[in-house]
Amino acid sequence: MSDKLSRRDFLKLAGVGAATTAILTGCGPASRLVKREPYLQMPEYTYNGLSTYYATTCRECAAGCGLIVRTSQGRALKTEGSANNPLNLGKTCARGQATLQGLYNPNRVRGPIKHTRGERLYDTAADPFNDEFADAKSNMDWAAATQTVADALKNNKPEEIAFLMGMAPDHLFDLVADLANATGIQAPVRFGALSMFESRATLSKASENLFGQSGLPLFDVGGAQVVFSFGANFLETWLSPVSYTRGFAGLREAQTKLRGKLVQFESRMSSTAGKADEWMPLRPGTEAMVALAIGKLACEIRGIPMPRAFSDVDPLDAASKSGIKLEMLNHLAEMFANSTGALAIPGGAALGQSNGLAVAEAVLALNAVVDNFGKPGGVFFSALAPNQTEYQRPASAKEMAEFVQKMIDGKIKVLFVHGVNPLFELPTSLQFGGATKYVPQIISFATFPDETALEADYIFPDHHGLESWGYQRVATGSVGSVLSGAQPVVSPFYDTRATADVLIAAAQLAGGKFAAALPFKDEVEFLFSKVTPLISEVDGFFSAPDINTFMAYFQQYGGWWKTTDGRSVPNSADALNRSLSGAEAEFAGEGEFFFVPFVSPTLAEAGANKPWLQELPDPTTTVMWNTWVEMNPVTAEELGLEDDDLVAITSEAGVLEVPVYRYPAIRPDTIAIPFGQGHTAYGRYAEKRGVNPTDLIGQNFNEAGDLAFAGMKVKIKKIGKKKPLSRLESIMGVYGVGLGEEK
Amino acid sequence: MAIELKVSEVKMGEAYVGKWGMVIDQDMCTGCQACVAACAMENNISFVGETDSGYGRSMHWIRIERFWEGSYPEVKMTPNQPMLCQQCGAATCEPVCPAFATVHSQAEQLNLQVYNRCVGTRYCANNCPYQVRSFNWRDYKRPEPLSNQLNPDVTVRRRGVMEKCTFCIQRIHKAQDKAKSEGREVVDGEFTTACAQACPASAITFGRVDNPDSLVSQLARVHGHGVKHLEELGTLPNVTYFKGG
Repeated sequence: MSDKLSRRDFLKLAGVGAATTAILTGCGPASRLVKREPYLQMPEYTYNGLSTYYATTCRECAAGCGLIVRTSQGRALKTEGSANNPLNLGKTCARGQATLQGLYNPNRVRGPIKHTRGERLYDTAADPFNDEFADAKSNMDWAAATQTVADALKNNKPEEIAFLMGMAPDHLFDLVADLANATGIQAPVRFGALSMFESRATLSKASENLFGQSGLPLFDVGGAQVVFSFGANFLETWLSPVSYTRGFAGLREAQTKLRGKLVQFESRMSSTAGKADEWMPLRPGTEAMVALAIGKLACEIRGIPMPRAFSDVDPLDAASKSGIKLEMLNHLAEMFANSTGALAIPGGAALGQSNGLAVAEAVLALNAVVDNFGKPGGVFFSALAPNQTEYQRPASAKEMAEFVQKMIDGKIKVLFVHGVNPLFELPTSLQFGGATKYVPQIISFATFPDETALEADYIFPDHHGLESWGYQRVATGSVGSVLSGAQPVVSPFYDTRATADVLIAAAQLAGGKFAAALPFKDEVEFLFSKVTPLISEVDGFFSAPDINTFMAYFQQYGGWWKTTDGRSVPNSADALNRSLSGAEAEFAGEGEFFFVPFVSPTLAEAGANKPWLQELPDPTTTVMWNTWVEMNPVTAEELGLEDDDLVAITSEAGVLEVPVYRYPAIRPDTIAIPFGQGHTAYGRYAEKRGVNPTDLIGQNFNEAGDLAFAGMKVKIKKIGKKKPLSRLESIMGVYGVGLGEEK
Repeated sequence: MAIELKVSEVKMGEAYVGKWGMVIDQDMCTGCQACVAACAMENNISFVGETDSGYGRSMHWIRIERFWEGSYPEVKMTPNQPMLCQQCGAATCEPVCPAFATVHSQAEQLNLQVYNRCVGTRYCANNCPYQVRSFNWRDYKRPEPLSNQLNPDVTVRRRGVMEKCTFCIQRIHKAQDKAKSEGREVVDGEFTTACAQACPASAITFGRVDNPDSLVSQLARVHGHGVKHLEELGTLPNVTYFKGG
């Protein structure tokens, strides 16, 4: 330090410098060339011991939460929620926290690979915790990879080229959609197991039937006083869990208002139901009937002339069929009708049944009794994100079945897969695995060696989300319209390449209409072209006179959003004027037990390869690193089962062997298995661990085309072997401890 | 010759006010495990794998406890209870350490764990009524390149060393250094612990309990019925819980 510049001043200046460069690095297309390197070649904005923070968007699910990633000398160290992003306001879920274990995962695809279908991408060591793993080497360069993609585009008829994409990122979906629209290749299909378990199509269809407008409803949990949730696991993975958890905190807040109450209707106590004031373990399939009965009783209490919607239901009948006593139904109806802010939410397993659409309509209709539409604590339509259209919605399971049929019929000659792992996420009964052999060429852009990548002829790995440009539209959960922006927070760790760049380069090579469809130099230029129209939008969180400055802010804040309320009010005028069906659901298969698959709150569909997510205890059972079947202790006793006893569970679609967890909060006639494990590939931490409950789900759909995943009946048979589950709660009973047979 | 023992004054019960503290609202906590993951990422905590975690050797510095009341159908899950080191004012782990590895810091009024003093007797874990200490039974591996995400501000522990929640002392020091260089006091809310920062329900609040104007103090005052766990043992915990329901 010189005499004139004190250390304090120097640090101040350094701070200013860091802040300025955070903006400057975003200036101009040249910024994409800025490399973040180790301190031997220190970039100008890096100071030893000082961290640099970048705003980006989480890619662990499709919700689009903003992240701030702490980096130091080119390495990403920690993710935090972006306080600016109106969706998550500085918060994250466990998966967002563990995203770095994806970035630095020891089993990533390290470069472009020409691959024989079925061939392993790494050797599985006997002990996944030692270092000796041999990852498949890249055996081609990116020029050859790009040429392969170009040939695939050029040498096939456009209508025989298909793209199967994940729920994120949206910018890549837009790029492929533009390509498809301009060249006549098939419209890209997007899918995700979460959207399947959320029953999004059913929610949207029910809204259309009741309010004359399809769309994703937004439930203002935070403003409500009484929330009736029929199967919606909104504190776990449903739609936008971080945003809904904030809503829940608002519901519970008791300093400035009365503490709000939550009642959860479902046959198995999820961790959402665990937080509820009342858990109603109704008989699966009677949700619609119960909702209508509560609606009828509530109308009587409020003195409303009985609308057609509730006229057919008999509360006494509903009580006897559902197993909820009539007095309890009356109590619930009073609670709902007399509240100053009642709200009813349909979701999850309740909609994943043969009568799922009727359930969604009946529950949405409850909201019409208290007329909470467009009011605080009520039902809205989600604010539409910039450029959001119906075109970008995820495919329902039925549409996926049609897609698979197309593959089998030989209508798809080349299949590009990005951001989704259908071999794991789709039920086996939908036959995606069997259909791949009818597709002559499959090109995967997988970041990780997942099951679908193993069935591909080429793997051209995309960057990890934290190494990527892009944006994600916030489909629901925020008050205003939000476009969450992504930028690389570190330079790519391996020889991966942005799929958008590969497609743009390949389109240029293919020439003709392909080149004309994607006239961009690279992904960043494409991103600029999509973001440019936002400059002229009013009510933005920021504005800028030119695109370079706008993009600098876009990167600095991690996206762009409106400051105004973008939610719309459903038209409920006719919501109750039609007859609604309270018929019970039909269940497929023989067996004495209802089967409820549910998404693991910590692993979800793609978390299994992150070791710390594996080691997070399940919120309800505290089991780690494996799959279990939840069974009422009374049922277990009748069947002569104890904890950790392996049972074979048989449905019409398949058989699974899984250890028993005696779960006190599940109906005796119901069993439940979490979804998230059971990988046969996907890296050392995921592979050969637990089972995948989708193997038991048959090809049954509800009226909206969503999978009737909770509409199965199954048989249970004791095998006579044990598989000790690792659990945080207590080791009593595990490894024989406490049973007098300690090893 | 009589030896004069100088024991620093220990304030008991009502007279005791800590420095850094936490309030946890169990009615808000959804048990989502975001805090557990955030803590592991911030503090370089090892994962131990299925077998060792089955033996109870997992290294969570914070865990969510939930218990069952009643039996079906009248079964209830008790409000989720995040359990972490309570940073006791009179910590029972401290006097039993033969190596002075777990000591009370005068500056932060926290219960420290000095890794390079620890010889692994595990007396402290044995004596902790909250069962929040975890022991490195092995050198747990982080296959390359997982080690790239290690936080340079936090020591990586090896086999035979006890560890536990530090209230993110690295963040406390960073904020204090910054405030000092700017010639001011640390402002309430300027920084927080990893668990509190992640918590989507904002169930965890961290701050100065000796400052009546801080958010933690205000919450404790407004809420009125905060509970300290196992208070009857005289451990003087610095974490206050609001019971749910």
